[in-house]
Amino acid sequence: MLAVIKKEFKSYFCSPVGYVFIGLFLIMFSVFFYLDVFQYQSINFEYIFYSGATILTFIVPILTMRTIAEERKTGTEQILLTSPLSITKVVLGKFIAATLIVVITEVCTFLYFGILSYFGAPHITTALVTLLGFLLLAMSYISFGIFASSITENQIIAGVITIGFFILIWFLPQFSSIFSSFSLINMFSKFPTGQIDIADTVTFVTFTIVCLLLTVIFMQRRKSVR
Amino acid sequence: MLTGFIEQTEGEIIIDGYDILKKPKKAKKEIGYMPEGVPLYTDLTVKEFVTYMAEIKGVDRKIKKEKVEKIIEQTGLKDVENKLIKNLSRGYKQRVSMAGALVGEPKILILDEPTVGLDPKQITEIRNLIKELGKKHTVILSSHILSEVSQICNKVIIINKGKIVAIDTPENLEDKVSNSNSLYMTVEDPEDKMKEINKKIKDIKKVTLTEENEDGTKQYIIESKEDVDLRKILFTELAKENITIFEMKKVDTTLEDAFMKLIEGGNK
Repeated sequence: MLAVIKKEFKSYFCSPVGYVFIGLFLIMFSVFFYLDVFQYQSINFEYIFYSGATILTFIVPILTMRTIAEERKTGTEQILLTSPLSITKVVLGKFIAATLIVVITEVCTFLYFGILSYFGAPHITTALVTLLGFLLLAMSYISFGIFASSITENQIIAGVITIGFFILIWFLPQFSSIFSSFSLINMFSKFPTGQIDIADTVTFVTFTIVCLLLTVIFMQRRKSVR
Repeated sequence: MLTGFIEQTEGEIIIDGYDILKKPKKAKKEIGYMPEGVPLYTDLTVKEFVTYMAEIKGVDRKIKKEKVEKIIEQTGLKDVENKLIKNLSRGYKQRVSMAGALVGEPKILILDEPTVGLDPKQITEIRNLIKELGKKHTVILSSHILSEVSQICNKVIIINKGKIVAIDTPENLEDKVSNSNSLYMTVEDPEDKMKEINKKIKDIKKVTLTEENEDGTKQYIIESKEDVDLRKILFTELAKENITIFEMKKVDTTLEDAFMKLIEGGNK
């Protein structure tokens, strides 16, 4: 599995994908940082992540859309499926590699934490809790992105499905309160206040596991109906 | 199916004693598969790719580096080991794919159409490589180019619509369907006596005209009764009849002929 992680991680940086993801996120994050600090006079590091979470909706697909779709299209899937690696390990490897990119991005955001602590005293534990929540949210998003990538050969379609789904669950609560617990972004909202909500954490983790499991099942199933 | 890419619907596949469904990890370790159309990770260099293959096949970390070197050497990729795969020619890509199949020293190598799309020089190189590999590994070669099969393989399995039609050595297969009692002749025959020749020589079963050439010569296929070699009699008899022989040879059967006959037999 380590081999898959290594290779996937490397390929994020051999192609523009990794740079585009991190770059886009940091640019958007900087904009929100500017707005928060200068427009709203807030020096809360955590609050930027409210806006930061919405960026994920649009950039996670960049990271995930090619993961499995591309392997299927170029046929390299055959290499993986005929190797002694199990499908679970392949999927998990891809998932972890993508998650690592998010972790790198989070580490980069510490730059802003540094700037803020020069002028004021931002709270380090709250910041860390926020980052944890943000990572959990990103993991849920990535796992869904990988799932979307596994159901089609076309990267673009995988990307569109992913963005569509994220936007849908983001705005669903606005149509009816029945859907209020559907929004992953809403679930993230407690983390920046410094509390780790067990229910939300469990939901994130479950969502991730279900998506990854579905991916494995889909790939396994294709093996027997090909 | 053998490689675990597709699951079988019935029956079982046992590779070196391991059932591919129950112990996929062990069974797959014994197989090196080179897929048709050579899919590769084109963003990696040759060395990176082979190393990656070694890693996913679970080659021990300590000997990994040395194994990778050895295989790169063996498949003649030393010159290009640091080049990106996407910049390589088709022949090299084929070799890279083969190198990928070879790492981890599998007992069985499955090669799917290994010489498709190569120029003649590359084809001979790849064929020689396969022959070389055949000494150490069991090589299963799937190919549509039958002359290649008869050149390289020791044993041929012909499968038609999922059923095995024949398992044998290429030579035996050729013999089985061969009509060794046919002769192929080109003659100059101004008086058109060839048609009556079977009345003169009793052993001839049938004379068929296959082609009339522009220079006035005619091509015939002459079938004789079994176990008779007509060549000597024909030579003397035709000379008496004032027919000049330009060419005379036994009709060779190739694996292609054997294949066609077996497949047709199966369809009827």
